[in-house]
Amino acid sequence: MTPSTEVPVSAPIADLETDSLLGTFPEGPRLVGTECGQCGRTMIGTRVVCSSCVSREVSRVALPSTGVLYSFTRLHVGVEGVRPIGYIDLDDDVRTLADLREGDTPLQPGIPVVLGVEGDQWFFAPVAGE
Amino acid sequence: MTENVFVISAAMIPFGKHRSSSYVGLGVSPLIDALQGAGIQKSDVDAVYVGHSYGGMMTGQRITKEIGLGTVPTVNVDNACSSGATAMHEAWTAINQGLIDVAVVIGVEKLTQFGGGALPLSPEDREVKQGLIMPAVYAMRATRYLYESEATVEDLARVSVKARRHGALNPFAQFRKEVTVEEVLAARPVADPLTLLMCCPTGDGAAVVVLASERARARLGAPNGMRVAASVLHSGQVEEGFRDMTKPEISYQSARDAYAQAGIGPEDLDMIELHDAFSIAELVYYEAFGLTEKHSAVALLRDGRTTFGGDVVVNPSGGLLAKGHPVGASGVAQIAEAFWQLTDQAGARQIEDARWALTHVTGGGTAGLDHGACTIHIFEAA
Ligand SMILES: [Zn+2]
Repeated sequence: MTPSTEVPVSAPIADLETDSLLGTFPEGPRLVGTECGQCGRTMIGTRVVCSSCVSREVSRVALPSTGVLYSFTRLHVGVEGVRPIGYIDLDDDVRTLADLREGDTPLQPGIPVVLGVEGDQWFFAPVAGE
Repeated sequence: MTENVFVISAAMIPFGKHRSSSYVGLGVSPLIDALQGAGIQKSDVDAVYVGHSYGGMMTGQRITKEIGLGTVPTVNVDNACSSGATAMHEAWTAINQGLIDVAVVIGVEKLTQFGGGALPLSPEDREVKQGLIMPAVYAMRATRYLYESEATVEDLARVSVKARRHGALNPFAQFRKEVTVEEVLAARPVADPLTLLMCCPTGDGAAVVVLASERARARLGAPNGMRVAASVLHSGQVEEGFRDMTKPEISYQSARDAYAQAGIGPEDLDMIELHDAFSIAELVYYEAFGLTEKHSAVALLRDGRTTFGGDVVVNPSGGLLAKGHPVGASGVAQIAEAFWQLTDQAGARQIEDARWALTHVTGGGTAGLDHGACTIHIFEAA
């Protein structure tokens, strides 16, 4: 007997296998983003669907290594010592949470920051000389 | 045709570290006291709505079975800090739509089970995996707010000072000792610029309110109580890029909808119980509720316009900062405070001739969202 209609079989998304935000790209280590082929929206991390237009035509992209510090805090609880973290607005209007490194330029909202990588650790630090 | 809904009684236990009490131990007494206050029997109850985030399976049924309140639907609701107020919204909806006549709303939480520290968030969340905790979210909100506005770290301390002054008058508050600006600033740093005294405490609590339709209130000979003039629930909307953390849109939108539903404006309010989980939140929410323009909240605070004797008393109970914040209980406890204020039973902290009250809780901790949930209620003395 042939069914008159076919229902879609929805598939689970293996999102636990694509956890890391740091990836290797031709230009070097970069934060992993996902770009929508339909509307062009770029998002942080590995996604299979666009949160704007719900298209599944998305692809893995390297996010810019530079951005602007939106805000930050120095955490004193739940960590050894003090941990500076902040929200970075990357140059393609993607916001990411990130560990921060203190440098010669004091942290404050609005300063330009750049991605740094040491092993599998990544962070943002004030752009030197700014 | 929709029904008018009334809160006809309220009860709660003082918030605090009740290490010897389970969720059942926290919830049963206020449940009995709320039914008694309404002058009704358990057989008069059509449904029970229970807000909690960490109570585990069947928290509501575990509490209600202790007094043999069964058979009727019991709905357990999780919406983080909005859990209790979401339970309230569901109960209001059912009565407002004429589906039921009498509902019990329970908010309950036991945070001492975690042994202190920041609230445990979902380990599945991207930013939680990166180590984000709620104090850090509000600290970044504060850093940006201080950067953009005239506000100073002393203003953040002033919010805590006001909360403690109000809490000192409230027998239900976890903290009843006043503090000074100097003490707040000198307290242990948690997440700069927030010190420990700018963060709500860890504690346990339970609060219960009873709701009734107008006809049930008459049939049961229940107290007049207060009318629910608005009940609004919003969810956060994802933003992948820039977000203005000083303008939490979910609270702006909820307030706009609540005022429209109630047919009043911010100038009509006599009191507000708002979600001051961290002191920066209070300033941001003055603006979200239209008490003042964006970035100008500190003027209201410094001039005493949001304390007793001012235009509108914000957090007469002491708020989350002083009364405490057992997550799922907070939304219902705010409604209990509004009930006591609008029925002239608030004792030493009574606001004279209080007629209109607004209560507000959010629920946060999800990457890409301002907050996960926001609930606003407006009440009118009946
Ligand atoms: Zn798209």
